[in-house]
Amino acid sequence: MRNTSERIKSVLYNLLSLVVVGCAWQLLSDWQKSPYFPSIAAIWQAFVNLSTNGDIEGITLSAHVWASLIRIFAGFAASCIMGIPLGLAMGLWPKLYNRTRAVIEPIRFIPPIAWIPMAIVLLVGFGRYVFLIWLGAFFPILVTTLLSVTRVNPVHVNVAKVFGASRMYIIRKIVIPSVLPDIATGMRVGLGVAWMCIVAAEMIGGEMVGVGRLILKYAELIRMGEIIVGMLIIGIIGFIMNEIFIVIENRVFRWRSEVSID
Amino acid sequence: MDQPILEVSIDKSFGPTEVLHDLRFDVRPNEFLVIVGPTSCGKTTLGNILAGIETVSKGYVKMQGEPVNPHRHNISYVFQEPSCIPWYTMIQDVTMGPIIKGMDPAKADKRGREVIKLVGLEGFEDYFSRQLSGGMKQRVAIARAYATNPDLLIMDEPFGHLDAQTRYLMQIEIMRIWEQEKKTVVFITNNIEEATYLATRILVLTKLPATVKGEYVIDLPRPRELTDPEFLKLRTEITNDCECIE
Repeated sequence: MRNTSERIKSVLYNLLSLVVVGCAWQLLSDWQKSPYFPSIAAIWQAFVNLSTNGDIEGITLSAHVWASLIRIFAGFAASCIMGIPLGLAMGLWPKLYNRTRAVIEPIRFIPPIAWIPMAIVLLVGFGRYVFLIWLGAFFPILVTTLLSVTRVNPVHVNVAKVFGASRMYIIRKIVIPSVLPDIATGMRVGLGVAWMCIVAAEMIGGEMVGVGRLILKYAELIRMGEIIVGMLIIGIIGFIMNEIFIVIENRVFRWRSEVSID
Repeated sequence: MDQPILEVSIDKSFGPTEVLHDLRFDVRPNEFLVIVGPTSCGKTTLGNILAGIETVSKGYVKMQGEPVNPHRHNISYVFQEPSCIPWYTMIQDVTMGPIIKGMDPAKADKRGREVIKLVGLEGFEDYFSRQLSGGMKQRVAIARAYATNPDLLIMDEPFGHLDAQTRYLMQIEIMRIWEQEKKTVVFITNNIEEATYLATRILVLTKLPATVKGEYVIDLPRPRELTDPEFLKLRTEITNDCECIE
């Protein structure tokens, strides 16, 4: 466990790095004097303006964020519902994976952006968002779940076996608890990738609302201030989601982080 | 003489490697049988086979006259490697066996607290294994093994990972427990001093492929003294017989 002074130091250094990057940007902006490099004040102005008056169509920033979050969670939930059971099944019955890997592995390497035309042809509306986000999150979740099963410590399985435990008992009480932390990590990575797919998804979704769509709108107008606001919002929300996930992981898997008395 | 509790007559190969060759012995009720042999002579494989979690290539392991089967026989096993379940607290860990065997949770909890006390860990019931030292973890494994009141208790180099000091204390401890709760024990080790200290009978195994090379009945009075001339004589004799490098 880190002590308090170490924690305060880490917060201070993080603030310092933020200030350094902010200053560097401000210097660049002052030196260039171009609308492509808006000053921090101009970015702040764009943020305030987007929050209070909304964008060129009057849609406020919070409406954009909310719309994107709903899409993300729908796609992410679909990834979890499919990825976790399938990963577990493939880990427990390796033949399932070995006999289908020629299908799974190549699909895994096709970036979500390459699926855009296919998504436009196959799906409409909300389904397009969910599909593209699902693509991003599904494989990290599937692969970490699958690999976690192979890392179950055989001694733990044998402890139960010697007592005459059934296969069902071993899956429920040994395999699942031991893979849960890895699955949580896979979910956290998957959520991050899902969020990173938001711009691609909103390129084709059709609706004019969403943070990805916000960036695309202002890209056509070459208004860098609003674009940067959109980028920062995506980054900050991703950061917050990741931190929340880590806190939950540490709570749930207390047995992994308890201090040793050794 | 009593009916043997365990009759063993096995061959075991992994692919082309013959690990156990025509290995034959009996285990009698309430004895503390120690099996010694040189390192990597298939001792752990033998332990797994006796516990019924590894198959034999030829022959049989019969417990109480029937082929050994974890679903039918009440066997406990203390593994060589640390085996505490990381997501269980100590009390959850030691009650696992009784619960698998169908004891109701309240009774299992009571039994769990008894065996934790037996190994001297009362007060730590709600600790996770990460919070425990190596010696304490091995005590938990022993408590868990005793919790089901096994008809046969197998221990595979249970103190192999411990430092010399802890190991010595654990040997005294295991003797105290064995004298208190008489159980049939098969104890596997490569340490002859440990074997001579604990055993009522010692079997010496050969190098790979392992077979029984010698048998010693140890009837020295307890508690045994490591510097007693009788003890040293026996120990030297067994050491000469065994190809162990200590």
